[in-house]
Amino acid sequence: MLFNSIEFLIFLPLSFVLYWFLLNRNLKLQNLLLVVLSYLFYGWWDWRFLSLIFLSTFVDYLVGQKIHRAQDRERKRWLWVSIGFNIGLLGVFKYFDFFVVSLIDALAFAGYEVTQPWMLHVLLPVGISFYTFQTLSYSLDVSRKALAPTKDFIAFAAYVSFFPQLVAGPIERAASLLPQILQKRRFSYQQGAQGAKLILWGFFKKVAIADSLAPIVDDIFVNYHSYSSPTLFMGAFFFGFQIYADFSGYSDIAIGTAKLFGIELRSNFKFPYLSRSVAEFWRRWHISLSTWFRDYLYIPLGGSKLNSRTTIRNIFIIFLVSGFWHGANWTFIVWGGIHALLFVPLFLTGTNRNYLHGTVAEKSALPTFREFVQISITFTAVTLTWIFFRAESIAHALAYLKRLFALHPYQGYNHPLGYRMVDYFILLSLFMGYEFIIRKDERSPFKFKSRYLRFGLYALVLLAILLFYDDRIDRSFIYFQF
Amino acid sequence: MKKFVLKCSLYVALLLLVLELLVRVFHLYTEDPPRFIDDLGVEKRVPNSTGYAVTGNRNQNFSEFRINSFGFNSFREFHPSIDEKEIALIGDSFIEGFHQDYDRSTGKKMEVLLGESVAVYEYGYAGYDLANQLYLTKAYEADFEAVDYIIFYLDYPTDLERSEYVPNKDRITLLSSRMFKIRDQIKLLAYTSRIGLVDPIKRLALGIRDRNKQNPSIKVDSVKLRTRYQKNFEKLLSSYPIDKSKTAFLLNSKTTDKEFLAHCRRKNIQYIDFGKVFEHSQTAPTLIYDQHWNDHGRDLVAQAIVDHLKAQAPHLLNK
Repeated sequence: MLFNSIEFLIFLPLSFVLYWFLLNRNLKLQNLLLVVLSYLFYGWWDWRFLSLIFLSTFVDYLVGQKIHRAQDRERKRWLWVSIGFNIGLLGVFKYFDFFVVSLIDALAFAGYEVTQPWMLHVLLPVGISFYTFQTLSYSLDVSRKALAPTKDFIAFAAYVSFFPQLVAGPIERAASLLPQILQKRRFSYQQGAQGAKLILWGFFKKVAIADSLAPIVDDIFVNYHSYSSPTLFMGAFFFGFQIYADFSGYSDIAIGTAKLFGIELRSNFKFPYLSRSVAEFWRRWHISLSTWFRDYLYIPLGGSKLNSRTTIRNIFIIFLVSGFWHGANWTFIVWGGIHALLFVPLFLTGTNRNYLHGTVAEKSALPTFREFVQISITFTAVTLTWIFFRAESIAHALAYLKRLFALHPYQGYNHPLGYRMVDYFILLSLFMGYEFIIRKDERSPFKFKSRYLRFGLYALVLLAILLFYDDRIDRSFIYFQF
Repeated sequence: MKKFVLKCSLYVALLLLVLELLVRVFHLYTEDPPRFIDDLGVEKRVPNSTGYAVTGNRNQNFSEFRINSFGFNSFREFHPSIDEKEIALIGDSFIEGFHQDYDRSTGKKMEVLLGESVAVYEYGYAGYDLANQLYLTKAYEADFEAVDYIIFYLDYPTDLERSEYVPNKDRITLLSSRMFKIRDQIKLLAYTSRIGLVDPIKRLALGIRDRNKQNPSIKVDSVKLRTRYQKNFEKLLSSYPIDKSKTAFLLNSKTTDKEFLAHCRRKNIQYIDFGKVFEHSQTAPTLIYDQHWNDHGRDLVAQAIVDHLKAQAPHLLNK
């Protein structure tokens, strides 16, 4: 089920009523309802893949118990069962065919030709990268004794499958989400109101920005060979906003929906395009994933505590793995690699930990000239890396970049669906300006004292949704494919 | 909880009111002048109204219409007389032309090309097929006898789906129903309905899921269908005979069955082909978001008609 579907529009209020009005007195039943709702939400897309979620839940529940009771060596063995199972799921459903194709390419390079390779050609289960990482983090935390395993299977199943964040995150940690599921929840007006506002803001980002930019981006990336350099830069620039609005919009709706059910999820985006360096960008972009890799991969590898060479190796490992996590394509690996290359100089100059706290223009209305230049450079670098992320192949990305830097003179660009292009520049300018205004709190997009101003903003946001909605556009979320 | 539900409901209601106001202020909605079936059984618009037709969102296409006293969108009133030179252009939404201002219509362009010595009457109505068009000429026989030349716009094969005229009372009843009237009064609903935002609700209500949606495709190369269309054409012409010396069919030869065109030639039925000029046009002749003719397309169509008239009805061009 998509958040931006009519089914969800019916599903959400019905779930809300059942959750708070019918089952609010019995925590176990409320949690069971969460599981049922989550399975319904997921099964609406393809019920067959529910078995994978159930299996992942069952295995990690069991492993959690075993690890807790086991001694050191056996503890490790059980942990490997969890790692093997979850990574195995990803390996089979997401990466198997990629490895086979890569092997065939390598063999072809060495002069051996494989004519009939054995491939699975299976459909990628939506959200598999998210829920496997979520269950894996549980086993890892239990194994580190950072968390006591739960005996309540229903609560654990609710933690794994909690529908607002099941298919595209934020990737939650058991230490933060599980206690909320195990405790009796009370409805809070403030929390509910915040949730409703976040949902509205998420819908605006998804429908008015991400979806409306999608046909332009698709057109430019497909027909890049017939467009001029400025148009190609515009394509990359628009994709940067499309993917940001799409994914952060999803996260906002997820966080907002969870709030309606009395549950707090972690923030996933903190205005990443206002970052002053690539290091800061990664503290603000897809936070739940980057912190996952930091806590469960980078730090266990030694992090930055060892010598520089090892740290640089670790930096490359997490960026490459993070890129690969996004999809079984070399483009994502290269994308991760470029980010590692952008990050390493910051580490070597000791500036990677600058801007750990606070935001741009922390104590002023406008950024300083220095901050403005820093943001512009970071944004441009990130935008260019998106070309690899969006391209179908490395060759496609390189050809796109080659044409972009060939500096063909500007030729007019017409929207593939006939809309005025100026509308999009106005929309993005307003969006960027507004993001700058609200930069200090990503969870309160309408935090203004004046009730009238807030109301006016709700109306404007809804009007923008109405103005930029187009039923011919594919409305699925980009991160579903990961 | 009570406060949350009450406040949410209040905000939703207020926001809907504000959005209704904004949709009205920016005229995002389209106006569809009411339709009716007159005493002679002809489907028309209710006479004497003006308004704006809007296509897509953000006023992607915004044009003024003017329904004349006869019930068609035109820059002029229709007063056919034997003393004046007049051409009747009959067709569906392409001729009705809600996609451009009424004073930039194909008929107006023809008049300019003809030196304004000839009046062009545009009998365009969205949804007209050939049965509608021919029936109109039969119902208002006296008027069309006075007209010097009649051009029917024929969109093959969709305009040949039926072989006899029956007024579409169901459509008129549906459009005049309370539900549709309410929809037209609530401009926000009219707008969201127009841009497809309420389509999922409609589909859900009808129990039709997206994945079951299939586009019916007409195979024009199918012998059976081709024969059927030709038979329908013949039957319509026998029910509502035309004066071949002063009648032509405006069509696109690129989308019309070659056999049908050969049939017209064999029967000495004149046709005006705008397909070739469309094909060779350097600029797109249709709107990007809609397949109706844009201003350039209308120029080409008007020119094609005038070229035809110069060859086939030169008397019309002499002052």
